[in-house]
Amino acid sequence: MHIPDGLMAPVVSLIGWIEFLVVFAAILLLSGKKIKEKNLPRVAILSAGIFVAQMLNFPIGGGTTGHLVGGALFAMICGPAIAIIGMTVVLLVQGLMFGDGGITALGLNAINMAIIAPLIGWGVYSLLNGLSAKKTVPGKAVKGIIVGAAAWASVFVAAAACAGELAVSYAVSSGTFGIAATVAVPAMLGVHAIIGVGEALISAGVMLYLWSVSPGSITTIDKRAKALPGWKGVLSGTTARAVTAILIVFALTLPLYFLYASQGRDGLEKTMQDAGTAGEKPLISTPFSYGQNYFSALFAGILGFLAVALGAAGILRLARMRTTRETGP
Amino acid sequence: MTFANIGSHGGDGLDEYAGDVWFGKLDARAKLVGIFTFVVISAVLTNMELVLISLTVALALLVASRLPLTHIAKMYMAAVPFILFASVSVFLFSGWERGIEMWMRTSACVLPLLVLAAGTETFDLFAGLRRLRVPAVITTLLMLTQRYILLLSEELSRMTTARRARGFKGARNLTDRYGLKVLAFTAGMVLVRSFQRADDIYEGLKCKGFDKEMTPWRRSSIAINDVLLATGLAAVAAVLLTVQLGVIA
Repeated sequence: MHIPDGLMAPVVSLIGWIEFLVVFAAILLLSGKKIKEKNLPRVAILSAGIFVAQMLNFPIGGGTTGHLVGGALFAMICGPAIAIIGMTVVLLVQGLMFGDGGITALGLNAINMAIIAPLIGWGVYSLLNGLSAKKTVPGKAVKGIIVGAAAWASVFVAAAACAGELAVSYAVSSGTFGIAATVAVPAMLGVHAIIGVGEALISAGVMLYLWSVSPGSITTIDKRAKALPGWKGVLSGTTARAVTAILIVFALTLPLYFLYASQGRDGLEKTMQDAGTAGEKPLISTPFSYGQNYFSALFAGILGFLAVALGAAGILRLARMRTTRETGP
Repeated sequence: MTFANIGSHGGDGLDEYAGDVWFGKLDARAKLVGIFTFVVISAVLTNMELVLISLTVALALLVASRLPLTHIAKMYMAAVPFILFASVSVFLFSGWERGIEMWMRTSACVLPLLVLAAGTETFDLFAGLRRLRVPAVITTLLMLTQRYILLLSEELSRMTTARRARGFKGARNLTDRYGLKVLAFTAGMVLVRSFQRADDIYEGLKCKGFDKEMTPWRRSSIAINDVLLATGLAAVAAVLLTVQLGVIA
């Protein structure tokens, strides 16, 4: 999934870099304590561990092999913040030591593999954990399925984001950069749906191994036993944070969506025009519009990104307050 | 593919060729600035002639660096699947000219980065980044990660030997339950061993005076050759960009 330089439209690469820097800076600020001196070697060794685990190839059929991405696994072991920093380090090492990936494409590669993959993996893992929370701790099989589902989702969504970036690049550059959506989307999703199965099986195996051999090494606190049953459990702190993680991923895709939307009519508008219903007065007009050219669209996209990010931060804060109240006297 | 790269070297031979060639002796900062500028500009070119010029410059840099071509070719193969996928689909949708242009543009960007990676000692590269004011937390993490990768890949190759001695040849397909279980447990074992090492290594680092930041022990100064490389590449990039933007017809 390493995108090389020169493949994506410059404006798409630029958006990727801006988003990456914003998220990375926010993570560094928020998790300043976790990345203190004593933890640096630990983050580094986990990055190295994931890098080395990525060397294990598994067969995906037809004589081809896939390898672990590891974003979900990283997040399940030590939480999303450290996973984002660690996966970024893995990508930098791959880029600088082996020339995998590129300079202008680093932003987008980091968005896909170091931000979206861990966030989705961790989000799905926490959500499913919340749903399966009962008074008894789930058995090995259930744990394995949850980890597998999270790992598969992380690879699939990251591939979808990559396909989306390729398609938007193609649309905004009228075919000079990127790959047409009709090719990029089915090809990327098809291949990664299968690679995801390998990722799911290996991740589940690794997590089950870690749980039985070295449970102390998993630093994400396992609150399953304490979690409340039913919907109360779903609304507990971990779940809200998991939803936040997924919302952030959604927010990251917004600027590209608006950029794409500004380049031409979307599917609905085209259908309406074909049916002869276009041009009617809208029922409600919004105070913001995503504009006619792509700079106003970009502006609207960034505005949307900030709005969702703020909303997500609000949920995070509520979740924290809730947790404090739960643990209070 | 990274596996193939590490696997094809002996010992810690990541920097096998960097010491032998003149390119490896240049200051890392100059190489980083020059090559990054060139790659960023090459990535935005859309004019066929300009893309051809940037590819020629990239190939000239490759040949001039005197790095073994087979080694670079092996590294280049890692990027080929994506480049091929993109070029073929562009070829099918927008004609052969666009397809070839895509291939040449991506190659013109990938090749200089491969020359940089293969022709610079990894430590110098990270120290160069630090000297270019990249935050210490990132460069320190990079340096530590590189050190651990060498350690853990040795560990992994030892485990691979042990598995092979027991007759294990890798999983056959995604339904090979036993094979995948062995692979997953190997990955798990690498992680467990890495956790055990982390604390020991931290103690070791503290004893050697580690204080949040890895201080580069080597000194490096910018010489005339370094300036020539950086300004040369930046000048080519600047000319390409001005022509692309239509400032010079």
